Amino acid sequence: MKFSKTISVFGSAVLMASLAAGASIASAADGPLRGNIRVVIGSTSTGGDTYQNSSIVVDKLAERLDLNMKVDAVGATAAFRALDRDSRGNTLMIFHDQSYLGYLYGVEGYDNIFEKYTVGPTVAINPGNAYLVPKDSPYQNMTDVMDAVGNGETVRVAIQPGGVSEIGFSAMKNAVSIEHPGMEDNLVAVNTGSQADKNQQLFDGQADVINGSVQANEQYTRLPEDDQKAMRFVWLTARNGTIEQAPEDGMGQTDREQLLEFVEPNVTVTMGDSENFTFDKEFFFLYNKDMDPAIVEQIDTALEEIYAEGEIQEIQKNSFFIPNFKPSDEAAAYLKDKMTRYEGIINNIQ
Amino acid sequence: MEFLSLLDITFFLLAALGALVGIIFGAIPGMTATMAVAVCLPLTYALGLNHGLALLLGLYVGGISGGMVPAVLLNIPGTPSSITTTFDGYPMAQKGQGERALKVCVIASLVGGLISAIVLFLFAPILADFSIKFSYVEKFLIIFLALTVIASLSSNMLVGIFSGVIGVWLSLVGTYSISDGGNGKTRLMFDFMEPYLFEGFSLLPVLIGIFGISTILLEAEKGVKSGLTNEKIKIGKGAGFSLSVFKGRLTNLVRSSFIGTFVGMLPGVGGSAASVLAYTQERNLSRDSSEMGKGAPQGLIASESANNALTGGALIPLLSLGIPGDSTTAVLIGAFTLQGVQVGPLFIPENADTWYVMMTALVFANFVMFFLMFYAIKYIAKVIMVPKHILFPIIVMMCVVGAYAINYGIMFDVWTLLIFGVLGYLVQKVGLEVAPLIIGFILGSSAEVYFVKTLESFGTLSIFFTKSPIAVVLWILILASVAFSIVMRLKSRRELKADLPASRLNKEELS
Amino acid sequence: MESGLSTLLSVSIDFETSHLFFPRIIHWLLACLFLLVLVFRVIPFLAAVRRGEHSLPIIGESMDVLRFFGTLALIAAYFYLMAAIGNLFPYTGYGFLFVSMAFVLLMSLLYMHERTRKNLGIAVVNAIVAPSLAWFVLAKLFNITLP
Repeated sequence: MKFSKTISVFGSAVLMASLAAGASIASAADGPLRGNIRVVIGSTSTGGDTYQNSSIVVDKLAERLDLNMKVDAVGATAAFRALDRDSRGNTLMIFHDQSYLGYLYGVEGYDNIFEKYTVGPTVAINPGNAYLVPKDSPYQNMTDVMDAVGNGETVRVAIQPGGVSEIGFSAMKNAVSIEHPGMEDNLVAVNTGSQADKNQQLFDGQADVINGSVQANEQYTRLPEDDQKAMRFVWLTARNGTIEQAPEDGMGQTDREQLLEFVEPNVTVTMGDSENFTFDKEFFFLYNKDMDPAIVEQIDTALEEIYAEGEIQEIQKNSFFIPNFKPSDEAAAYLKDKMTRYEGIINNIQ
Repeated sequence: MEFLSLLDITFFLLAALGALVGIIFGAIPGMTATMAVAVCLPLTYALGLNHGLALLLGLYVGGISGGMVPAVLLNIPGTPSSITTTFDGYPMAQKGQGERALKVCVIASLVGGLISAIVLFLFAPILADFSIKFSYVEKFLIIFLALTVIASLSSNMLVGIFSGVIGVWLSLVGTYSISDGGNGKTRLMFDFMEPYLFEGFSLLPVLIGIFGISTILLEAEKGVKSGLTNEKIKIGKGAGFSLSVFKGRLTNLVRSSFIGTFVGMLPGVGGSAASVLAYTQERNLSRDSSEMGKGAPQGLIASESANNALTGGALIPLLSLGIPGDSTTAVLIGAFTLQGVQVGPLFIPENADTWYVMMTALVFANFVMFFLMFYAIKYIAKVIMVPKHILFPIIVMMCVVGAYAINYGIMFDVWTLLIFGVLGYLVQKVGLEVAPLIIGFILGSSAEVYFVKTLESFGTLSIFFTKSPIAVVLWILILASVAFSIVMRLKSRRELKADLPASRLNKEELS
Repeated sequence: MESGLSTLLSVSIDFETSHLFFPRIIHWLLACLFLLVLVFRVIPFLAAVRRGEHSLPIIGESMDVLRFFGTLALIAAYFYLMAAIGNLFPYTGYGFLFVSMAFVLLMSLLYMHERTRKNLGIAVVNAIVAPSLAWFVLAKLFNITLP
């Protein structure tokens, strides 16, 4: 008796709630994308560039599509798995070049994104990938570093293995093998983790060069030389054209003109065939392979409209991102080509 | 004093609101300060930098403090850094001194928070320069020092160390993470587990599984007898609270606060190590530590002052190196980047106003936390009057939310609750010890990284002894810590002349 | 002698296999400790069991079978169904909301000793209010992703 009453009360509550739920789903936008959308990103940090950039784009997209969208910083492997499981389009992913670099470097948990997923539009570039030396380092520029390696000196570079942080190192190694064949082993990777760890390697004298970024290390480059923590940029991997688009004030107290001194053609790391190596960290969407192509279309169109308005570019530039919208097809072809070029470098130095 | 114009009513209201919401988050088992800051981060965009920081710092202080409530009343650490609070808090609650225990915790928290704020304000840049003297070697030794607490914490040293090593083993499951500079390869699992265990077990689900779910399983086994969570607890009765608890505890209070600040400022050592370390030191250095672990206020003082001191400590590397000191400050960085403010070695000189604003918010939030908690404790402590058949399902539900949300929505973290709930049950049943196991788990993965990375760079074990004077000092502390626990054990054995025949470990009596 | 010591202490770690270095140390430690525990704790304990001074853990103890295994089954079902039902309403948190209601109610009933009308009423209200409140505050107000 009591139980049946309990169940009926409970049942009716559930019924009411689910009616409400049904109603709210039905009232969602009329495109192929419907319901609540979760955008997973390949980073676990909500303070990092991937999260920041994704939330700028997703906020605008949610507004435009009139949908509930939310960025979740679940990390690369978890994000790929979430994407694998959902072909309805309720799960989307935003990540950067790490997604295929991880595969090229053979990191566990990464597959060939061009086979396993649909590559969506690119949205922005983080132009900040940089290499630094201590302020009192004997190496004034990249040429000094290369020559030192060529002369048999051991140069240690602190990087995070298996991706964006390593690609510049691989390029340096490749350049050594072209310019000073046989001396590659003098360029040594110090495998370490976060930016804090890389800086620490420099302070400890365990590394001669470190990978870093304009955003995270700019203040260190402005410290007086007698400060143990003082550093100097020697190389920004971005294309000249990318930094050209940065705000004139640059980052902190380092303006665009100063930043341009550290990109090609002022600093060159050769790729052979008189071509210089460059690397722009680009953010793009990844979709489940079986997702409705109409959704791809819908997001492309929405982004195109958003970028046409021009407001998002301002927000991105304020946060030191370079706006870089390419619709899905163009983006996929472009990124595939990019991957092939880096694949050559990585194979060359193995 | 230009920054004074930035402080308006809204500023203080937001800091107070932050402290309140933070306390609630911290007090719910499974919800943490980090989560509170993470979910409120998007709000700060609209609030602007100064108001946003007021809210977030309030959340931070409140969230860390709130963790004491379930730790004392339910034996579930509300946040990972309140684990050592359970050691003495819950036994006190069982003796009917829940309210007294909480009041001790609140005062210790306030002192810890204020001391660390003062240290942050006066010495941030100097301390940041000191903190970069700690390389992999010294960080490993700090972790090792914290691990020595296992020797003194366990009721049987052999079993305790064994449990601790099991904890370390469990923490290694998963990949040797690339983000720590590892090679990203998985170990200690079969291939079919890889999709789930790729990143290993997360700390928070393990913690609430092993404390929360296993406690419920142990109760269920006994038939959930008494209607109330613990009928022995008489609120307000038993030994009442008076400030005399702190008599002779000043050294402990100050020492623990400094340990908390200090550990907080070392990036990558982890917040939980702070309270563990403070607890160890109190155990080793105080004259009368025999009652610790059985319900001694001094344990609470050490634990809570250290974990609140963490707040100021963790802000030191954030504001003077641009590097977060713990997981919460890692999220806090987002608030700065969202507003386009750079944090780094020049942050304080270049953003003096923001710096003063943050200090004001931090100190104010500590006081708000104190008043909110101190006067609400009487009511909060009534949680344990809720009948178990109502309370337990809610605890499980909130643990689920916390586990699922900690990594922004991963279902395996929820299953981790059950896995470690059952494991925690079995561990206690066969006579292993939970506390050493969990400390091993918390510290295990950083011990690995620092140990392996040291050997990778230096290629010799001797570096652990010869790296720097700091390393030598740490070794002395480690040896002292081990020696103390052995001496104490011998002493207590002599006192307990009536030798019990080789009985199993006296299992921790769970209500 | 000096060089002998330094070779003894020198260690070289291959990055490719560095993920196994520390676990190997831990395995050796575990094995040694296990032996010690076996000799000093387990064997004396088993001897005591044989003499009848102690009973075996879990097997030899009395237990509320229904409540213990009921709890395990309920929790497992709760976790499983939450994800399964949540998947029908992607990222709305309804899976959590509805399954939690059922779970809270059933667990309350399982643990309740005196099933009076009043107790049942409280349990039902609690089962509806608590999950709804949690869902509303977390999923709606704070926009946390729930199953």
